[in-house]
Amino acid sequence: MDRRNFLAASAAAIAAIQMPRMAFAQDGTLYVYSGSDSNITDFWKNTIVPAFRRTGNETRIEVVDAGDSAGMRAMADRALAAMSSDADPQLDLMEAFDPRHPAGAIDQGLWVNFDELGLENAERINPDAIDSPYSMPYRGSQVLLAFDTSKLSPEDAPTTWDELTAWIEANPGEFIYNRPDKGGSGGNFVRRAIHEANGRDPSKFTLDNFTPEFAEESLAPAWELLAALGPNLYQNGTYTAGNTQSLQMLAQGVVTMIPVWSDQVLQAIREGVLPEDTGLVQLQDLALAGGFSRVTIPTNAAHRDTAIELANFLLSEEIQTAIIEELGGFPGVSWDHVADELQEKYRLLIPRSIPTFPGGEWDAAINDGWYRNVAPGTPRE
Amino acid sequence: MSLQAAEIARAPAIRRGALVGLGLVAGPVLLLGWLIIYPIFDALWRSLTIAGPEGPQLSLDTYRFFFSDSYSLRNLWLTLWVTATVAALLLAVCLPISLYLRFAKTRLAAYVQGLAILPMFVPSVILAYALIRTIGPNGAVDLLLNAVGLPRITSPYLTPWGPIIGLVWDNIPITVLMLTAGLGVVSDNAVEAARDAGAGRIALLRHIILPQIGNAVLVALSFAVLGVFSAFTLPYVLGPASPEMMGPFMSRTFNDLNDPRMAITQAVITFIICAGFGAFYVRSVARGRARRT
Amino acid sequence: MRAARLDWVGIGFAIVLTAVIVFPLLVVGTWAFTEVWRYPSILPQEYGLRYWNATLSRVEVWESLFLSIRLASTVTLISAVICLPAAYAFARMEFPGRNILFLSFLSSYAFPKFGLLVAIAGIFLGLGLISTFWGVVLIQLVGTLMLMIWVPVAAFQAVDRRMEEAARDAGAGPLRVFWSITLPQAGPTIFAAVLLTWVSTFYETEGAWLIGAPQMRTMPVLMITYINNQIVVQYGAVLSVLLWVPSFLMLLFARRVIGSQSFARGFGV
Repeated sequence: MDRRNFLAASAAAIAAIQMPRMAFAQDGTLYVYSGSDSNITDFWKNTIVPAFRRTGNETRIEVVDAGDSAGMRAMADRALAAMSSDADPQLDLMEAFDPRHPAGAIDQGLWVNFDELGLENAERINPDAIDSPYSMPYRGSQVLLAFDTSKLSPEDAPTTWDELTAWIEANPGEFIYNRPDKGGSGGNFVRRAIHEANGRDPSKFTLDNFTPEFAEESLAPAWELLAALGPNLYQNGTYTAGNTQSLQMLAQGVVTMIPVWSDQVLQAIREGVLPEDTGLVQLQDLALAGGFSRVTIPTNAAHRDTAIELANFLLSEEIQTAIIEELGGFPGVSWDHVADELQEKYRLLIPRSIPTFPGGEWDAAINDGWYRNVAPGTPRE
Repeated sequence: MSLQAAEIARAPAIRRGALVGLGLVAGPVLLLGWLIIYPIFDALWRSLTIAGPEGPQLSLDTYRFFFSDSYSLRNLWLTLWVTATVAALLLAVCLPISLYLRFAKTRLAAYVQGLAILPMFVPSVILAYALIRTIGPNGAVDLLLNAVGLPRITSPYLTPWGPIIGLVWDNIPITVLMLTAGLGVVSDNAVEAARDAGAGRIALLRHIILPQIGNAVLVALSFAVLGVFSAFTLPYVLGPASPEMMGPFMSRTFNDLNDPRMAITQAVITFIICAGFGAFYVRSVARGRARRT
Repeated sequence: MRAARLDWVGIGFAIVLTAVIVFPLLVVGTWAFTEVWRYPSILPQEYGLRYWNATLSRVEVWESLFLSIRLASTVTLISAVICLPAAYAFARMEFPGRNILFLSFLSSYAFPKFGLLVAIAGIFLGLGLISTFWGVVLIQLVGTLMLMIWVPVAAFQAVDRRMEEAARDAGAGPLRVFWSITLPQAGPTIFAAVLLTWVSTFYETEGAWLIGAPQMRTMPVLMITYINNQIVVQYGAVLSVLLWVPSFLMLLFARRVIGSQSFARGFGV
């Protein structure tokens, strides 16, 4: 082999090595990022993506687990930075991310406005679930109380807020909830306390009626309620760092009762982390607040149109049914759009509606208020 | 030759030396300026200005808020207290280990050293989990105590001692490595000579060993202090919800309260305190150079 | 005959450290082989290798492991090449702005990255380095600067200058003095810095995620997704045990290099 042939051959070899990579970039993969717990990313990988491909769309879709909210935030920051340079942010759809982050993103036009799209399935959405035109709800979860039946028999489980607080006071150190800023099961317990302190009327709080004055007036009595519970919680008022840590406290028999996400506790029982006979109960006077998960699409996504198509597909009957049946979740569409026999089958397990609490500015007010007034143990002036 | 004449004769050499010196540090310095210093100034600019009707206006309101807000100040004090405690514990734990490793001649030393450095391979997430399962409530220690009929321990989980234990554990390797390496400079001969002269262990440590490893101690503690100051995972998972250490507090302000100006303000305050500590090491290096030239 | 005596101090340290360091790791290690373990049983109720199979059969685990090793080695090598000469200059030479430049490296370590994400991502996007190997190398390289400069500076400072001068008086050139006097004495500390750099780069997640996602998935990034959102802890435990065993064996052999003067002797001093 002479030198020229050798060079040509080695160049071809190098090209061959690099080819899969370049072909990859050209043919393009749609990247979905999720900061949700693993049962949700598994549901995307095993159910949503295969079903979407069956509709005839050939795009390669990869679901990337972002770990936690800071991981999601970093990707959103990257997408925002990509706007000024017209680069590909390598991010097409975000699962469960609040489009109000990063600050200024909406003003700069980072997120797709679903109101302007007029998606085919948009009218099926449960109106209670809508939070912002820049995100589209597709599934909901409720928060329940999970308890250790070896220490508390199901007949004695509290079913109203008053019974629950009475039980916590009678059994000091046996209840713990996680900090409201991470994971949400504790956050929705806190929101239930806010409902309690405001006449158990969820309609009192809407996305638009947030003012610092109204927040101060309506949240302060809730902080008193929660701070009063503090001394009777685990170790006189400590709070776990997240959903999974709470589950571990229950699993290790440290506490008797915790608030949990319904889908997560079902998975924990299925995987043997919690025993089969773990008790589950919902408050009957007003259920613990639940929450909806939404998807957000950056306007500079390389596969924006496919991502929008995918978002629309999430509201289809096929996926909504799977959310109820496989995930044990709550549909993102109104119950009118759920098949009758399915409604009948899950009537006892899944409530017709779950009380929700608006997000937006309320989130920051509630979380910071809790950290400042409840977490330190003694109410601040 | 008088001192002055020597200075004059050396001047051109120093100028040439200055160019070589600058050339040698140029790579890392430019990299740092491009990827860290420029973004920091970018962030600082955003934290110091608010959009007014006539363009951006200088405003120090976030700094004023921080220093007048008792909640923020309490978090800062907690962080300082945890950092000081961790640094003191680290020195107390690691100096004896390093002295042993330096002077031990047995094969057991390899095992001790291996163990002391092993925590380096344990990322914070795993460590947090391991500690919860070990000294947490109903963890392995409780299981063992329970099995032999003893009462359970008062778990440090979710108290400030949780992160302190975790952070000390996490920082043992770098401290031991630095101190042991620093002790390598202390020659056997010097120690033997002092011993022959009748110096006790304490005197040996104070007069022969410590003066020679001052820089190693400072640099080891600098890294430990900086690491502790901005630690996130261990304080968040193992510590109490409130008061918060600066790491989780900043992250919550940024990610959760969506208030980047306040978060950067907190970061700047944290950084200035860290830089103050780092300045000790820099000064000691500068002094060492001045003494020797 | 001191070496022949029983090493009581060593035995004491070995016992205490085994309890403090190994015990928590042993608990994690046990979880890796556990199917069910509930309070108050001292030992797991059910053992099994299910999670080992599930973890090791995933291609991404092996890919990310080799990617992380390649990344850490590349970053450490480049970092050593650019930082060690700089450290020598900081320790020994006079030049304007030396102290302030030296102090400024603190910012690469002590300034939290969250506020810098947009600006850093902007730079990397402009260069087309997002989700590439060299992009991750660059961001991680910046993270190593302080360690690779501050620690070796301590080493060069500690070198006995009288020995260097003696060698120079004996007619050795500057390079020869550096090679046979300075480097061997600074060696153990520099080795410690290199080791720390390698390991901390291997476990770095923030930069690897910001710049590397979605295609550059390093081992710790994978680990975090296996641990953070999983109710089942065994995946994380398996990955950890997988890394600890070789690490510990490696450390046993590293004994000769760190601290003891055998390093200096290896260079013929």
